[in-house]
Amino acid sequence: MSESTVRYSQRGGARAMKGFLRQFLSYGGAQVGLVCLVFFLVVAPIPNILVGPLQTAINATGDFLAPPSGEHLLGTDEVGRDVLNLVVHGARISLTIALLATVISLIVGTTVGITAGYYGGRVDVWLMRLTDFFFVMPSFVLALVITPVVLEVMGRGGEILGFRPSPFVILVVIGLTSWAFVARIVRSQTLSLKERTFIDRARVAGSSNFSIMVRHILPNLVPQIAANGALVVAGAIYVETSLSFLGLGDPLQPSWGTLLSLAQRAGAASAGAWWYLGAPGVCVLTVSLSFVLIGNALDDTFNPRRRVIP
Amino acid sequence: MTSSSQEKPPLLDVKGLSVDYGLKGVPSRAIDSVSFALRAGEAVGLVGESGSGKTTTAMAIAGLLSPNARVSKGEVRYRGEQLPIDDDASMRPHRWSETSVVFQGAMNALNPVHRIIKQIAEPCMLKLGMSRGEATARARELLELVGIPADRGSAYPHELSGGMRQRVMIAMALACRPSIIIGDEPTTALDVITQAQILKLLGELRSRLGLALILITHDLSVVAECCDRVMIMYAGRIVEDGTVAEIFAQPKHPYTRLLIESIPNPASGKKMIRPIPGDPPNLVNRPSGCAFHPRCPSVMAVCATEVPSLDQFGRGRVACHLYRSSQEDKVAVHA
Amino acid sequence: MNGGGTSRHIGRIIIRAIVTLLMVAILNFILFRVIPGDPAKLLLGGARTSVTAEQIEAQRQNWGLNRPLFPDQLVDYLSATVRGDLGYSFKFRGRHVADLILERLPATIILVGIAQLTAIVIGVMVGIYAGWRRGGTLDNLATGSSLLLYSTPSFWMAMILVVIFSTSLGWFPGYGAYSPGAITGFLGSFLDYLRHLTLPVTAVALGLIGQYVVVARAAMSDVVTEDYMVTARAKGLTGGQMLMRHAFRNAMLPVVTLITLNLGYVVAGAITVEAVFAWPGIGGLTVEALNARDYPVLQGIFLLLGASIVVANLVADLAYGLLDPRVRQ
Repeated sequence: MSESTVRYSQRGGARAMKGFLRQFLSYGGAQVGLVCLVFFLVVAPIPNILVGPLQTAINATGDFLAPPSGEHLLGTDEVGRDVLNLVVHGARISLTIALLATVISLIVGTTVGITAGYYGGRVDVWLMRLTDFFFVMPSFVLALVITPVVLEVMGRGGEILGFRPSPFVILVVIGLTSWAFVARIVRSQTLSLKERTFIDRARVAGSSNFSIMVRHILPNLVPQIAANGALVVAGAIYVETSLSFLGLGDPLQPSWGTLLSLAQRAGAASAGAWWYLGAPGVCVLTVSLSFVLIGNALDDTFNPRRRVIP
Repeated sequence: MTSSSQEKPPLLDVKGLSVDYGLKGVPSRAIDSVSFALRAGEAVGLVGESGSGKTTTAMAIAGLLSPNARVSKGEVRYRGEQLPIDDDASMRPHRWSETSVVFQGAMNALNPVHRIIKQIAEPCMLKLGMSRGEATARARELLELVGIPADRGSAYPHELSGGMRQRVMIAMALACRPSIIIGDEPTTALDVITQAQILKLLGELRSRLGLALILITHDLSVVAECCDRVMIMYAGRIVEDGTVAEIFAQPKHPYTRLLIESIPNPASGKKMIRPIPGDPPNLVNRPSGCAFHPRCPSVMAVCATEVPSLDQFGRGRVACHLYRSSQEDKVAVHA
Repeated sequence: MNGGGTSRHIGRIIIRAIVTLLMVAILNFILFRVIPGDPAKLLLGGARTSVTAEQIEAQRQNWGLNRPLFPDQLVDYLSATVRGDLGYSFKFRGRHVADLILERLPATIILVGIAQLTAIVIGVMVGIYAGWRRGGTLDNLATGSSLLLYSTPSFWMAMILVVIFSTSLGWFPGYGAYSPGAITGFLGSFLDYLRHLTLPVTAVALGLIGQYVVVARAAMSDVVTEDYMVTARAKGLTGGQMLMRHAFRNAMLPVVTLITLNLGYVVAGAITVEAVFAWPGIGGLTVEALNARDYPVLQGIFLLLGASIVVANLVADLAYGLLDPRVRQ
């Protein structure tokens, strides 16, 4: 059905895009998800402009665990930092980790899936055995044991590409452990695509295997990759938040999960400091719900029959 | 409408039945003023392309209209009494006890997770109030009746061939001793030899058990093998109704004629099916007048403006302007 | 149906489970050798403990650490793992990792077991009904709230529950498994335990309910469009008979698969929720091990989680085989 939708005609592509957008936006969930997401994507890159530099215990401005007021819209934490400041900076860190982890996951998953599906035979068997392992073992469980060991080896000081070691390791480990679902879907799509005539045509015309995979198969996989990408982001946020909550985050680059961990250690729940633990939690909830809604709407748009989640 | 002059009412009497499907506020008419009668033990073929309304007609008779369907006109009488065909709960006692259905593609029509004996016995227990033992015994009998060794009853649907599954469907349809069996494309997914076996089985059981049969198909040759009478449907209306012999010997409606010509005939060496030119009608935007006129080789001016009524012609009925005398024409302008 | 197909099916499932467990153990082996420091010293309780050179040498002999990494050391490691010898904890000096884990396991099993059962019963029932009456009021309500629950981190749910039901209302305790001091008698301490269990179980169960509603509803709304449901209706079955006799079991098939797919969610939920309530189970142990960099304990927990996930998959595969005759071939 979608044999040539993606790459054969520019104008047809534009029309298909418009039809796709209309269909996608007809889902209420997609609209809600997009609005929330756009909000966070606008806020996340510019925390310094919105709320000033990240506050620390030294430059904190408020009382300890003060409830929301005109001065501190979301109250303060146990050392007097402004929670709004922390949460806005947390958006940048949490979203960066989740999105980069997803990029890694999609690259690995797509590469493994296309290679296994295209070459078949023993390559396929071994790659799929590896995929099965990561399919069965949850990213959270693997990251729980791999992250601290890698951090031990690397040391917890310094910076890598602008990240503190622990967020960096977390994002790489999540990316490298959450690709199995993508790989399976890409493989099965590749298996059916490689039987199509336009692949034969490319082969007869002398295209190399690599060029067939990248130029002919990959563009046709975009819908599946996009729909699953959104769900991978939601999962990555969940795993990152849980790991950071267990104390694997870095207080110098606090993600939402790290903030919740700090709130837990400060006894915010038993002190009734709902603003301190409420703000980061609502952010996590909103962002992961947005990605789930967008992922579902994408999935419904691309294949209306097969739906995992309503 | 019908020529039946018997005193007893026919087994089934469909009178001016129209069914609409709600399509986002714009209802589309699936069948329009369908009328016919079915006598006990009679076998009628209902033939048309997909979208001709043949399945909707059958489902209406069986009381299986989907929730978005609405009966806008007409009625269905069974043994003289009106059936509440648009009331799901009130139709329940009628279903399977009086009218049962052999669905197409039995792989999906049988529940994949239950043994076939259980699926055959189920209506005996629920509708006839049999005990589990009695129902199982009856199911074994029925399996033998359709030519499956009773011991195969412990198999699951996926363990049977397509022809066997269709036999199971037939056994299941006979479970409550109905008077009418509707075959909804019962042989579509089967190879030619199995198809012939299933049709033969249906024909034998029908005459042995005195069942009335309504056979829905797009394939006229299937009807030729096991029906007494055939009704041709097009765009929701019956366009021709007559005995099988008459229709094959002297088709009247141009559509019927084209349908018969399109049957592949191995004897004449023609392998290619000649398709009827033009597109099947769109139900939401139906052509004016006779719905067939855009594709009709004998089209006249009147065909685009006036819907031809289904009138008695010879021993059958036909809905076509070609077969109306000029006197009738004047009378029937505003029919 | 036929015995050969069934036993071959079960055999394949078991082999896959063993291969996965083997890979978990190998990953553990690799991680342990990667940690800086002398493995022999690590095995004796970490870099910070003082041990004599003789002890280290004995440990080297014992573990064959002077022999090549592969295959000798790996084989030794695997056979020790199979025997249940997981080394010593760093934090709890001289204690066997296996003992530590076994000590904490019952509390987690009780918490997760009750939460799972509650969630499966409620979630599947609501989801099945929502999918059966798709588009109805209850469906919209259930779908909306379960997506919300599904996207909420369980530990955050736990913190909110503490703020509301413990700190503000004072209905349930928000810390630990027992009240310190005064309560005596079997019934008294049992009720006390139940009161402590309420909020953790609720926190874990709510997230799971969201997930199961979503999954069961999707499965059911696929089933109602199947041809065999039309057959069931044509047979004159009532709505309830159609649901119970024909739809339910078919809808359970994808539910079983999807529940195992999301086991990571259960594990993450349980571990983090235990951390919130200082529940004396595996989750609490995990946090302690993470903070103390107690790698042997962490790896023991990893092995335990790996094994339980593999077992859960095994159970799900076998259950699927029982539910669906088609996969037994």
